[in-house]
Amino acid sequence: MNLGLYLHVPFCQAICSYCNFNRGLLDEALKTRYVAALEQEIRRAPGGTADTIFFGGGTPSLLDPAEIARLIDACRETFDLAADAEITLETNPETATPERLAAFRDAGINRLSFGVQSFDDNELKRLGRIHSCARAVETIEAAKRTGFNSVSFDLMLWLPAQSQASWLRTIDRAVSLEPDHLSLYLLELYPNAPLKEDMARADWSMAPDDDAADMYLEGLRRLEAAGLEQYEISNVARPGHRSRHNLKYWQAGDWLGFGCGAHSTVGGRRWKNLSATADYVERITAGQSVAGDVESLSAQARIEEALFTGLRLSEGVDCARFLARFGVDPWERYGEDLAPFLQTSHVWRRAGRFGLTREGMLIANEVFQVFVR
Amino acid sequence: MDQRLIRNFSIIAHIDHGKSTLADRLLETTGALQAREMEAQVLDSMDLERERGITIKAHAVRLTYKADDGQTYMLNLIDTPGHVDFGYEVTRSLAACEGALLLVDASQGVEAQTLANAYLAVENNLEIIPVINKIDLPGAQPDEARRQVEEIIGLDADHAILASGKTGEGVHDILEAVVRRLPAPAGDPDAPLKALIFDSWYDAYRGVVILTRVIDGEMRVGQKIRLMAAGLDLQIDQLGVFTPKPVPVESLGVGEAGFMVANIKNVADAKVGDTITDAQRPALAAFPGFKELKPMVFAGLYPVENSQYQELREAMEKLRLNDAAFFFEPETSAALGFGFRCGFLGLLHMEIVQERLEREYNMDLVTTAPGVLYRVTTTDGMVQEIDSPSKLPDPGRIAKFEEPIIKATILTPVDHVGGILELCQEKRGVQKGMEYLKSDRVVITYGMPFNEVVLDFYDRLKTISRGYASLDYHVVGYQEADLVKLDILVNAEPVDALAMVVHKDSAYGKGRALAAKMRELIPRQMFEIAIQASIGSRVVARETVRAMRKNVLAKCYGGDISRKRKLLEKQKEGKKRMKRVGRVEIPQEAFLAVLKVGTES
Repeated sequence: MNLGLYLHVPFCQAICSYCNFNRGLLDEALKTRYVAALEQEIRRAPGGTADTIFFGGGTPSLLDPAEIARLIDACRETFDLAADAEITLETNPETATPERLAAFRDAGINRLSFGVQSFDDNELKRLGRIHSCARAVETIEAAKRTGFNSVSFDLMLWLPAQSQASWLRTIDRAVSLEPDHLSLYLLELYPNAPLKEDMARADWSMAPDDDAADMYLEGLRRLEAAGLEQYEISNVARPGHRSRHNLKYWQAGDWLGFGCGAHSTVGGRRWKNLSATADYVERITAGQSVAGDVESLSAQARIEEALFTGLRLSEGVDCARFLARFGVDPWERYGEDLAPFLQTSHVWRRAGRFGLTREGMLIANEVFQVFVR
Repeated sequence: MDQRLIRNFSIIAHIDHGKSTLADRLLETTGALQAREMEAQVLDSMDLERERGITIKAHAVRLTYKADDGQTYMLNLIDTPGHVDFGYEVTRSLAACEGALLLVDASQGVEAQTLANAYLAVENNLEIIPVINKIDLPGAQPDEARRQVEEIIGLDADHAILASGKTGEGVHDILEAVVRRLPAPAGDPDAPLKALIFDSWYDAYRGVVILTRVIDGEMRVGQKIRLMAAGLDLQIDQLGVFTPKPVPVESLGVGEAGFMVANIKNVADAKVGDTITDAQRPALAAFPGFKELKPMVFAGLYPVENSQYQELREAMEKLRLNDAAFFFEPETSAALGFGFRCGFLGLLHMEIVQERLEREYNMDLVTTAPGVLYRVTTTDGMVQEIDSPSKLPDPGRIAKFEEPIIKATILTPVDHVGGILELCQEKRGVQKGMEYLKSDRVVITYGMPFNEVVLDFYDRLKTISRGYASLDYHVVGYQEADLVKLDILVNAEPVDALAMVVHKDSAYGKGRALAAKMRELIPRQMFEIAIQASIGSRVVARETVRAMRKNVLAKCYGGDISRKRKLLEKQKEGKKRMKRVGRVEIPQEAFLAVLKVGTES
């Protein structure tokens, strides 16, 4: 099985008020040492064949194109990297000039994923984003001219004070830019998010659940009409542009994560690198291990996870293939528990497969609870 | 011990008026406990008692006091339970005494419970010494409290003692008053043994321990005795007194109080109020006033996890060892599975049992709405006592439906009278009396259906009076009423555990309020849920819980699947605490929804 390689870059120019990822403000000196450590960690890996690299963050587009090139080279020299490997860079529109985009392309990046979030400046401000809608449009157009295989961007729905109408304007605007791929994320407010305080202060509220569901459904309907096919709960793509890297998470694949706080799963073993950036650099430099939370998944846990990740995909789960791989016919084992969802049309079943309908995707956590104890 | 040097007394007080603190101070002053041994509120030994500041079980502590007259006295302090649910135990504790300290908080004044217990003490011919407590507090108004004692209770408060359990002020005066003003016990040392049981509990090592007061004659270790009401012959294994540490003695003489152990296995055999006599030379008549305790409030208690049923039964059996008034029998509910119908003396008693099961025995419980013991005469002339709505015969077979009536005594500042009268009317009360006292206080007495009080009366009384009104009640009899069974249907299925008995006139409103509350409490699920309230076949209210539309996590950040699993597990864990009725998951609190109805109206 081909590995996916995830490279974490924990630096940002500004901290968004809703974000709970492992990141901090940019510190140039630390960044330099961090990239060196990251390279070292990659070179230390045992190798194998790989076919995707994903630079995530944080804001990985804050790295210099030369740094990106160094890291991709380290991957190439350590792993047997497929010639057509998908190499994605998460990009903040504010950090990308046409020149830098070209330099990223020359460094080996062939897929860009922009953190656009919204095409409404007020919504962007409320999230604490540093870019404007105009800037995002400009950058996306520049990226398309630069010649990447795929251009994707993230949009968020269920934002504070976002209306159904403004969400659909964002969708329509996105369609007009002809992206290859889009991710739609429902805002998730973690406890103590600064955004929560902002919301309380400014009296912004989130639309009721029912409206969020309508926003999701109508957004997807418009995207599909424009040729962007849903293939996962939160992702749509033109044919041939599905994210190969992210598919590994949903198809019980193997991936190695490099950098602070990165997660890895290989052959049923799972671990997480330590999160603090400076500690990470120090330990890597000293030749020490950074892996923590090491876990060996039981056969049962692997089955459960393969189901609650696999059912995120529109194509659902193929019972025969699942049986061949995990030794269990999932419908035989869980069909009885899933029957009520079948009855309410949250789950479909046909041709030896089963999956979530779009209404089912909206309540995916309810269905997935069938697979945990 | 010379009978003339014995004094038996108790302390009458409202919750929080400082009874336990004062008792601690008496113990300390007489040297029963060194100051360093003192843990605040020694006499309240159960955790629950200490936390809530109430006394659940009675206590009897022997103090040795060298009075100013040079004589050494034996003082038995008999501490009584402090809540309305335990009214009968209070009468027995009082009956074991010749006098009582009537404790009144100098800033709070006289409360309904103090009043009720003071009357009980007067009825038992006790000599009463008023004590105005907490005079050290900034808000203390000792003169006002004294006036209230005179006006409300009708006692001469000229010689009331001003005291502070906290600082110890007045404690010496109290001890002197106990010696001088209270009579010595009047029993006959040569008469056949007659001793009153005023409390009993189960001890894992010694079996049942009885607290008793010798009225006539003498008790000796090894003596063959008889419990007169229980009809049980036994031999005394051990006698002792609490100082407050248990100290064995060879005998308890006339007028003395202490404990007895006699190889009794079951606390239900050692009934409070029963009389102990000599088996060979029995007394002619028992001490008067014995009553069987009868539970009046009933509720269903179910384990959340059906697999905990056996464990719950064992926990209840253990609890009953120590609580003869707690009743339970197996009950099956279509909605809740296997559980128990439980009987309690009152609401506090119910709460205490519930809390002890949850805390001491780690049980996870679903409790159904409490109800009272109804009496139904069927068309064939049979009379049944009904402790659960599910046991009601068909409406067509009911000839007569009777409910227990209480006499409620409410003491309130005059400002809140209007609201309280309104509440009592709403609760189908019939006014029996209203007396304005000089100190801007009013004593209101009502006859009221007990069922109405069991539901939410007390909370609302407290809300209306901003906490100032106090309530005391006791059941006085049964009365016919126009009662109906109100059913709650979830997705067209009646949920037996949610059924209740209500008065016809309020059934419609109650049904609507209950259905609305249920809609709030039942979370949205995969499908629409219809909630209906019905009386017989007539639906009086309908509410809908719409189907859930959204519960999804978008991000699966960088492959962090463990986090996702944890979230799913947490959500699932939350569901386990719900009860499944048909397809619908109902949270525990929904079964008590009826208690939450109306409090905000």
